[in-house]
Amino acid sequence: MNALDYLQFVLAPQVVNGLALGVAVVLVALGLTIIFGMLDVINMSHGEFYAIGAYAALALGAAGINFWFLLVLVPVLMVPLGMAAERLLIRPVFDSRDRHVTTLLVTFGLALVVEDLLKVAFGPNTQRPLTPIPGATELAGIIVPNYRLFLIVVGAAIVSGVAYVVYRTRLGAMVRAAAFDRNMAASLGVPVALVYAGTFAFGVALAGLAGVLLAPIYSVFPTMGRDFILLAFTVVIVGGMGSIWGAVVAGLLLTQVQALASLVISPVWTDPIVFGTMVAFLVFRPQGLFGRLGHA
Amino acid sequence: MKTTGYFAAAGLLAATALTSGALAQSGPIKIGVVTPLSGTYTPIGQQVRWGLELAAKEINAAGGIAGRQVALIVEDEEANPAVAVQKAEKLFQVEKVDFLAGTVNSGSTLAVAQLAERNAKLAATTVSFADSITTDKCSPNMFRVNARAEQQSVALAAWLAKEKPKAKVYYLGPDYEMGRSTVAAFKSSAEKSGAPTGGEVFAPLDSKDYTQYFGQIRASRPQVLYTSVAGNDTVRLLTQLQDFGLLTNLQVVGASGTVTSQNIGAIGQAAEGFATGVGYSPQIDTPENKAFVTAFRAANKADPDLYGADSYGLLFAYKAAVEKAGSTETDKVREALRGLSWQTPQGTKTIRAGDHQAMQPMYVVRVAKGKFDIIDKVDADKAIGPDACTRF
Amino acid sequence: MRDRLTLSMRASHLLALVFVAAALALAAIGAASGDTFYLRLGTEALIFAGLALSVDLLLGYSGALSLGQALYFGIGAYVSALTLLKVPSFWLAMAAAGGATLVASIFGGLIANRVRGVYFALITFGLAQVVAKVVYNTRELGASDGMIGIPVIDIGFGPVSVSAGNPVGFFLIVLAIIMGLYGLTAYLLDTPFGRVLTALKANEKRVPFLGYSVWRARMFSYVLAGLIAGLSGALYPMLRGFVSPELMFFATSGNAVISVILGGVGTLIGAIYGSVLLVLLKSIIGSWTEHHLIVIGLIFMVCVMFLPKGLVGFIRPRIEERLLTGAKEPAAPSFAPARLEAGSAKP
Repeated sequence: MNALDYLQFVLAPQVVNGLALGVAVVLVALGLTIIFGMLDVINMSHGEFYAIGAYAALALGAAGINFWFLLVLVPVLMVPLGMAAERLLIRPVFDSRDRHVTTLLVTFGLALVVEDLLKVAFGPNTQRPLTPIPGATELAGIIVPNYRLFLIVVGAAIVSGVAYVVYRTRLGAMVRAAAFDRNMAASLGVPVALVYAGTFAFGVALAGLAGVLLAPIYSVFPTMGRDFILLAFTVVIVGGMGSIWGAVVAGLLLTQVQALASLVISPVWTDPIVFGTMVAFLVFRPQGLFGRLGHA
Repeated sequence: MKTTGYFAAAGLLAATALTSGALAQSGPIKIGVVTPLSGTYTPIGQQVRWGLELAAKEINAAGGIAGRQVALIVEDEEANPAVAVQKAEKLFQVEKVDFLAGTVNSGSTLAVAQLAERNAKLAATTVSFADSITTDKCSPNMFRVNARAEQQSVALAAWLAKEKPKAKVYYLGPDYEMGRSTVAAFKSSAEKSGAPTGGEVFAPLDSKDYTQYFGQIRASRPQVLYTSVAGNDTVRLLTQLQDFGLLTNLQVVGASGTVTSQNIGAIGQAAEGFATGVGYSPQIDTPENKAFVTAFRAANKADPDLYGADSYGLLFAYKAAVEKAGSTETDKVREALRGLSWQTPQGTKTIRAGDHQAMQPMYVVRVAKGKFDIIDKVDADKAIGPDACTRF
Repeated sequence: MRDRLTLSMRASHLLALVFVAAALALAAIGAASGDTFYLRLGTEALIFAGLALSVDLLLGYSGALSLGQALYFGIGAYVSALTLLKVPSFWLAMAAAGGATLVASIFGGLIANRVRGVYFALITFGLAQVVAKVVYNTRELGASDGMIGIPVIDIGFGPVSVSAGNPVGFFLIVLAIIMGLYGLTAYLLDTPFGRVLTALKANEKRVPFLGYSVWRARMFSYVLAGLIAGLSGALYPMLRGFVSPELMFFATSGNAVISVILGGVGTLIGAIYGSVLLVLLKSIIGSWTEHHLIVIGLIFMVCVMFLPKGLVGFIRPRIEERLLTGAKEPAAPSFAPARLEAGSAKP
């Protein structure tokens, strides 16, 4: 293989494809890092909420609802689900002294239940909605499917929108205040309980939105929730928990490392590389790239 | 105390097991089914169960095996050998089953084969196609009635040599034992018939995104892509290939488990043109198969695939063997199964005595409009390959 | 002088005695009725109880949730299998498995003990995932198929020897080993050094002021837990005659965590009861539905939320009360190192 071929066929597409995968990972990690960073809750069932979003898109799409409408409808439908989960599962154990471990265990149990329920409801077989935007675009010999281009653009828009809400609006300030010091926020009139429930539901809705967006690329099956979970947790830790920009940078960097590493070593070893990065961060820079959101 | 209940239950069950063991000769013939009903392989386990249940129903309606009814006892093995062995032991020891079937992943099949030996019982697989099960890790107590990897690749390579002589082949396998051995098997068959190798890559099992390999694939400019990924992985691989427009001018071929009735719906248009060597297609044009497909559809609201068909056929082999042996004793049935020829929807199958591998006509099928059209057929003796089992 | 910790350990020991008595009764019934399956299932439950015990040592005493304890269980199982394939000696296999897990858990501990709380959980989870993946892809270890053909060995005790294929004999041997591990752990926790571990869980920041090294205590409990998991794992191939990478997967670690939660965190004996309970639940639920995850997941969630001390945590205070009134001491609230709430919420 000559050098030009290598650049055009291998290296350049690798970077572009890595970008699309990176956006997918960031979308899944976004809700996770918000719940983690603001509520200090480990949501092990985040992957299953992602799966619920994908199945909802599949079922509603089959019922004739337009994909573009689903992008709004599914996240909205996820909000009451997230509220209910927070009220029934998180709040009762929220004040236990080891919140991390307790919420991790409760949501781990929830993940088991949801995965099996999805199988009961939708059957064990893989399903897939049709790609809403078919076709591919060729730029200087690099082929990129149109839907992936769309995903990159929409992903960027979603991340910016979320960052705007969290960092620049009054609502976001309330949420960050509640995350930073709950008692102080409460005494300033922030409805802390509602903010917590709302934040959790927001994270769940984002997981659902990721499900809608990624279903056409990664297909839909009952155990799909496990797919991204280790990678998403890694992104949250490397980026700094609760940090939106941290998640973006970490998500894009890690997927690029994975994509490029798979060119030189056996792809099976890319997982240990990602994990090694997580360990290195935990050991040497536990606050992650950007530190905690509440303290930003 | 919870434990006391447990012990009492254990004692009771042990007692019932003893009495039912004594009555076994006159009661129904019990066949244990240990198959994945949860986890990744659930769809395959479902086909196995449907196939066996349909066969049992038909056999019972026609008077049973040697006048005795057949009773299936199904257990979930979660595609985990540790669970499979525990459940299989329960079926052997407590339920006193006469025969065991259903294991899917080769790890479970191998572990259950060993357990069958230690319990002096017989077992069969209708799904696992790793060559090792009837070659270097063969067991006198394990039979395989489905086609193994080598049979599939011989048939497929023979067709490919006719269809696209000397075409450059790129190999993409899942990075685990089965993936590597299927790629190796097809590669040696294809290279023998003169097809050059463009390159090979092994992707981790359950990969999310295959696009990272597309660059290497495009750069080597192959005419044929061989893959042995399965289940969800195939859905992702083929639809991503399609999204990238790489399926034009590329013939995709693969293992029999790559595109099946479970995932073809999700793959959709991207499955068109995919070809594989396989022991079964619902399109086989014989009266036996048509009757089978109709009955299967009526019972399960789904088409049978190779797993369903091979599992269905197994019970008729067992019936023939028991009736020939005049007994359900392990040694007598084993002797009767060796060299046995019987009719299945797939045609005549024969169990080779030397390695307990079924010989059967092999088909090359190609997906057209969501159906597996038969485009070539290789005779049983041409596809089987040498007997490499040395243990018995 | 008897304190509350000694008291609750005594209550645990009483429950351990009940357990052993019940297990011996099962062995007797099994031997009398010629049963094989239930004895071997019980043996397997005991082996996995060893794994649960090691999870409880970490979670219940130093407050560290390990989501990858199956790593050491699997290493023990594989090393034992490899040894038995070469030399069919029980003692050699146990020694090799013990040595290997000792080394592995020292390495693992050096990494995992750099962090606390949920990060510890994620690191142990990731470590196990990575090693399982390597095993899954290593042909010399049988790759995804695992290794079969591990011989049925004779276990020699001086002049007497028992076959691992003898259901009653091997059940009793495994019972002795697991209860021995339980006893050893309970003993070590009762030494002054063990008390430091308990103090860690209650208030880690204060421990250094008392002149103890937090790191050394955590490391000690991590390595001990790894060793217990490894020795339990070493028994697995003797029972089942094979090993497979699934033994290292998250499902195995997860089951151990579920067992500990069901039985009662921080009670040690609860892990053993929980493990038996889980096997029982699985086989009962598994016989009427393949959707056992829903039922087990729900029971698990209810336990975490409403019964944080599990089954034993529910029973034990009643035993403690009896012990107290028996000794005519003033009734005191039961000491519970089991509490999940302990430790700091933020790292």
